[in-house]
Amino acid sequence: MNDTIIELRDVWKIYKMGKVDVNALRGMNFRVKRNEFVSIMGPSGSGKSTAVNMVGCLDIPTKGDVYLDGKNIAHLPESTLAQIRGRKIGFIFQTFNLIQTLSAKENIILPMIFQGIPADKREKRAEKLLRLVQLEDRMNHRPAELSGGEQQRVAIARSLANDPDVILADEPTGNLDSKTGRIVMNFLKDLNKKEGKTIVMVTHDAELAKHADRIAYLKDGVIIKQ
Amino acid sequence: MIEDLIKYIISNIRHRFTRSFLTILSILIGIMAIFVLISFGEGLRNYMNVMGEEMGTDKLIVQPKGFGVPGTGEIYLTKEDVDFIKKQRGVSEATGMIMKQSEVKIDKRKLGKWVFIMGMPIDPSEQRLVEEAFAGYEIFKGRALKKGDENKVALGYNYLVADKIFSKPLKLGDNIFINDKSFDIVGFYEEIGNPQDDSNVYMTNDAMKEVFDVGDEYAYIYIRAEKGIVPTELVDRLEEKLRKKKGQKEGEEDFYIMSFEQLMETFGTILLVLNSILIIIAGISVVVAAVNIMNTMYTAVLERTKEIGIMKSIGARNSTILMMFFFESGFLGLIGGSIGMLLGYGLAKLGAMAIAAAGYSFLKPYFPWWLTVGCLVFSFMVGAVSGYFPAKAASRLKPVDALRYE
Repeated sequence: MNDTIIELRDVWKIYKMGKVDVNALRGMNFRVKRNEFVSIMGPSGSGKSTAVNMVGCLDIPTKGDVYLDGKNIAHLPESTLAQIRGRKIGFIFQTFNLIQTLSAKENIILPMIFQGIPADKREKRAEKLLRLVQLEDRMNHRPAELSGGEQQRVAIARSLANDPDVILADEPTGNLDSKTGRIVMNFLKDLNKKEGKTIVMVTHDAELAKHADRIAYLKDGVIIKQ
Repeated sequence: MIEDLIKYIISNIRHRFTRSFLTILSILIGIMAIFVLISFGEGLRNYMNVMGEEMGTDKLIVQPKGFGVPGTGEIYLTKEDVDFIKKQRGVSEATGMIMKQSEVKIDKRKLGKWVFIMGMPIDPSEQRLVEEAFAGYEIFKGRALKKGDENKVALGYNYLVADKIFSKPLKLGDNIFINDKSFDIVGFYEEIGNPQDDSNVYMTNDAMKEVFDVGDEYAYIYIRAEKGIVPTELVDRLEEKLRKKKGQKEGEEDFYIMSFEQLMETFGTILLVLNSILIIIAGISVVVAAVNIMNTMYTAVLERTKEIGIMKSIGARNSTILMMFFFESGFLGLIGGSIGMLLGYGLAKLGAMAIAAAGYSFLKPYFPWWLTVGCLVFSFMVGAVSGYFPAKAASRLKPVDALRYE
């Protein structure tokens, strides 16, 4: 089996802002190995989020190729990308991004619905994941009734719903206090060590970044150091 | 998946209750109006079908041309006309009917009620012809008029009901006064369902002549065609013969002849036009509702842009998002349609009661199965079609942009 799970080859992302072209990524080359925990660091505007969006199939590059599990996804149509996202990638966002009208459990079930998992199976899995993030007693609460840390743990559980290979975490502790942030970080580390998940985490906190196996520094749309 | 979709849609509709309610209200009104109008239209059509069957298609009617209520004009048909018609080929029988408006009293010294007095033929078969012309009208109590009944009357159904014509119901053997002459009541006719016909007083043609001091001045001639004769052809032939006999030019006749079939067709056409106009008016409210749903759904897409981004990031396909919004608006339509139909049913029933109380009991709503199914499908379609473009817009959002939206 190929050791590389994610690879960006000479990836450019150019946004048009009115008449000006903004180069968010300028020929970025980046490789993530299976079961690796990588942090991407860089100042704001360095292209971190754009890079993670590329890896997560949320966006396609203007130029260059993105390989996920050996498959070039840079030119796939949106519905195929959605399928890949749902199956292979779990997202954790800075602002948690839970659906406010659904309960914790329903939020975790949602990605499984999109993959057509049968109802009894997804119920069981959602409950198992809630136990994993130690929120089994909060499963029927809506996001508004949960603390930030609890919401992020629900988001972690949701990211695991379809047992993806890769977890992408974009500033996962950015909206949390340091104590809660540590708890969330420990969950991520456990996922990497115990569950064998590949984790790509974007952060600008050097302390957090140290938890990773490797840190990639991004500046002006290219990796300057890893 | 469909089950989950419905759950999600319901939770969204409930979450934005006020807006959902107002949107539902707008379609509800339109569907309710359509449901009520069509149910009455169908009721009327049913009634006409039944009436048509009772009347039969073998009858023709001759009326004098003139203004105002029949029987009150200057031109009458005569006994000579009736005898002439009776002799024509294809005519099985014919009878003339004298008709007057007069005051009916139960107490000579007090004011009475103005109603129509009709002259009935006493020949049983001719009498049956008149009764059939009144949609198979039959004696409900007592007996019909017969030879020698010069001071007897038969009355319409409303005389049996308190406060319809007189405060107390009349009974067989009671007396009424017309032009100061006393008449015994020998029979009552069954209800026909409109207040005018149910208030009629029937007496023999001879009694009519005596009480009103008139000759054979007929307001109508009823004709029964022989078996196997096409009524419309008989209409043409009789028109020509009668015109010749009266020495009148085509288009200048002082009478007109119509077959009952033509009469029903004319009614049917008027009914259809009237019904269509009403439904078009109700349809306008549905169009307004559709615009309202579209507006609601566009707002919902804006409001849920971030949610759409989240769903896409966790694996929702464009088609899934499209379905969500499409079915949500369809659902809004369907809920509005269902409630509208239930309210419409209640309203139609209430309306029918009010109309019956006013004496028009023939005007009843009718609820065929296709009206229910049609309204449900239609309301869902109105919702779904109006939601299609907002749904399309939602499904096309780029996940990155949608996620960034605050």
